[in-house]
Amino acid sequence: MSERVAITGVGIVSPCGLKKETFWANLKRGESFVDEVTRFDASNYPSRIAGQVHELDHYTHLSGRLLKKIDVFSHMALVASEQAIKDSKMDLDNIDKNRVGAFMGNALGGWLFAETELRDMYIEGREGISPYMASAWFPAAPQGQVTIYYGFKGYSKTVVADRASSALAIWYASKIIAQGKNDFVLAGGMEAPITPYALLSVNTCGKLSKNNCNPKKAYRPYDLYRDGFVVGEGAAMIVLEKESQAKKRGVSIYGFIKGVGFSSDGYHYSRYRPDSSSLEYAIEECLKDAKWDKKTVDYICLDAEASEIGDYLETQSLKNVFGKQISKISLSAPKSMYGNLLGAQTALDLVATIFSMKNSIIFPTINYEMPDPYCDLDYTPNEAVNREIKKALIIARGRGGINVVLAVEKD
Amino acid sequence: MALKEEIVDVICKTLEVSKEELKNDQKLYDSIGVDSTEMVELVVSLKKHFEIPLETNEITKFSTLNEIVSIIEKKKQ
Repeated sequence: MSERVAITGVGIVSPCGLKKETFWANLKRGESFVDEVTRFDASNYPSRIAGQVHELDHYTHLSGRLLKKIDVFSHMALVASEQAIKDSKMDLDNIDKNRVGAFMGNALGGWLFAETELRDMYIEGREGISPYMASAWFPAAPQGQVTIYYGFKGYSKTVVADRASSALAIWYASKIIAQGKNDFVLAGGMEAPITPYALLSVNTCGKLSKNNCNPKKAYRPYDLYRDGFVVGEGAAMIVLEKESQAKKRGVSIYGFIKGVGFSSDGYHYSRYRPDSSSLEYAIEECLKDAKWDKKTVDYICLDAEASEIGDYLETQSLKNVFGKQISKISLSAPKSMYGNLLGAQTALDLVATIFSMKNSIIFPTINYEMPDPYCDLDYTPNEAVNREIKKALIIARGRGGINVVLAVEKD
Repeated sequence: MALKEEIVDVICKTLEVSKEELKNDQKLYDSIGVDSTEMVELVVSLKKHFEIPLETNEITKFSTLNEIVSIIEKKKQ
């Protein structure tokens, strides 16, 4: 029997905290960290609210020389990686760096850097563009920067799969550990969509909330008056290794990645399949991969698109898979507090879920005020609930129906 | 400002390194571990600052500070 893949370190850069302690304390309070976009003038954007990371520079350990060359999404990934590595007590001087890799996911790439440089190129000509552009903007840049920074030479990969990017990255990472190809993997995601162009392109997908007058109330999944999700920026990284190695090192284990289920809708480039069959298939596959009985699942961290169809299909698939059992499972969407981090969403959801496990608390789905008759499950509305969790699922759905479900369990 | 000081200033500002790290007879690669993208940035900065024609193959990461000074001195004449 193959060994379990243990999570031994976490690092987080999020709208509700740049340290794991603040992150979990803020989630427990059930407050919204969504605000009006202040980084640039977004006044003519249909959706101009977001979960933003402030004060990243105060928490950074990087030199000005390096910061000049990278986009903010790499910066966030490097800060989160540093926290995760320290948290895991990885002894950087005494490990085989040929067997350490990084698996990361993001959906957009680094646009703050790219937009500025492209503008300069059009104004000043070819010398207006920084040579750092070549290595700053593209989606694999954070993977490169992190592996260069620590000298990690093991098998690594970047996954781009819309909002399922980091879920898939964590999946690949856990398989690489299970297969014994690497001793350690840094896995997770990062996203920086609060830039003039990136926010515009996310706007045009038509799925963002336009409740600009009331940012804190805007992201309201499963509520009857929802009108879309709110984007957020940030990064979350975890350290994965084999259970036996973690125990040999004597470090504490947050939990284990037990299984993954995957499916594609195979239906439309942006819309979901109008029945919930493919998401159901992914959930079933995940339960099979984890070898779990449906009855043993305690908690499900939801995708929470906050659209009529997205929330309905998610609810329906849970009812179809779990039947009456669903009323005994706690459900919630902590991302209603910090925003949907697109490609990085599952990485943050995973960190939130392992804190839920560690502290026996279910973080709430906030802004749930008016029940929707089609979404009639208990989504842990507005206030955190105490409950011991041993087995949890995390759902991520990318645009056009990339369905990924992760299974996580406590020791 | 002497030409050399001015050049050191441009290098330090462009690459965010300190003056102490730069050594007269050491290649930039050896003293500050400069990479090729940084060299492109540096050549463009020097070109703009001194308003001289300068190509990326004229100053490389294997140039020393003294060599850079003499190249720019010639170009300015």
